[in-house]
Amino acid sequence: MKLFFLFYFFAVFLFGNDTKYQIGKALYEETCVSCHGVNGHSNGNMKLIVMPRDLAKTILTEEQTYQVIKKGAKYWGAAADIMPSFESVYSEDELRAIAYYISKAFNPDVQKKIDKLWNQSEEISQNQIKKMAKRGKKIYYRNCSWCHGTQGKGDGEATRNPELSIFPYDLTKTLLNQKQIFLYIKYGGKFWGTHKDDMPSWKNKYDDFTIKSVVKFVENNFRKN
Amino acid sequence: MKKIIFGFVALVLVNTVLAAKEVIVDQKNKTFIPHSVTLEVGDYLVFKNSDDFAHNAYTDDEANEFDIGMQPPGVDKKVKMKAPGKFDVECAIHPNMLLEVTVE
Repeated sequence: MKLFFLFYFFAVFLFGNDTKYQIGKALYEETCVSCHGVNGHSNGNMKLIVMPRDLAKTILTEEQTYQVIKKGAKYWGAAADIMPSFESVYSEDELRAIAYYISKAFNPDVQKKIDKLWNQSEEISQNQIKKMAKRGKKIYYRNCSWCHGTQGKGDGEATRNPELSIFPYDLTKTLLNQKQIFLYIKYGGKFWGTHKDDMPSWKNKYDDFTIKSVVKFVENNFRKN
Repeated sequence: MKKIIFGFVALVLVNTVLAAKEVIVDQKNKTFIPHSVTLEVGDYLVFKNSDDFAHNAYTDDEANEFDIGMQPPGVDKKVKMKAPGKFDVECAIHPNMLLEVTVE
């Protein structure tokens, strides 16, 4: 098996990214396919407390996908340890190849989608900028803190129900950038590939100014990455 | 005389308590059921939670402002209506939940 991959890496060196794609595909089909399925839509028959993300809808870029495969989702704030770290399983080149394959095969236009939706959002005026801190704080503690907690650690009051049916992210560890956090709040988790809508879409309740204010509040108060 | 006054006050209190009615609103499948209710001043709005996850109910209406806090599954919470008016009640956790309340 090792000889097979050595051959592949030599081929990548000679022939470039198409071979990287093939290496990533081979590794994906060796490991990832059991949870995420052949087409990245996840295996619907699995009985997990948190179902695997639909990779065709994920908001993650290729670089972020690589980071999640390498360190595992919990490192980046997931509450459940379902997506493990593959750092000790695969080499750096192999991890990069898997992320490359996932990105190209299932979600090649994610950056375009992010940019398009961001450009459609309302711009913040100079007058509004002054009001963002107050608005963001109010709405975070009014709505978000129930699940994400008063310190953004994903340990809000709503997580303490005996059914343990929700798994909010620890926002201090997120690898999403500001645009992505905004789009995640606005459109909700299901839009970006989760199987349940525990993280709902807030676009019908709050305008873009309010959501961007919450993002600013999270950035200024919780992010440690 | 004191006994008469005491008796009168007690009668008024008993009448008030007896007259107040309770209107039940369930929270199921992330929806308030029913989605609109009409009560009178002094009546109680009783929130139930039939989902298997936590809910909340609040309003920013000035005259009837309340926030029931976290409501775990199976727990009831009761709010007294203070003044006439029309207002919306929302769940802070689930943005698509909306209850229209009329207090007469």
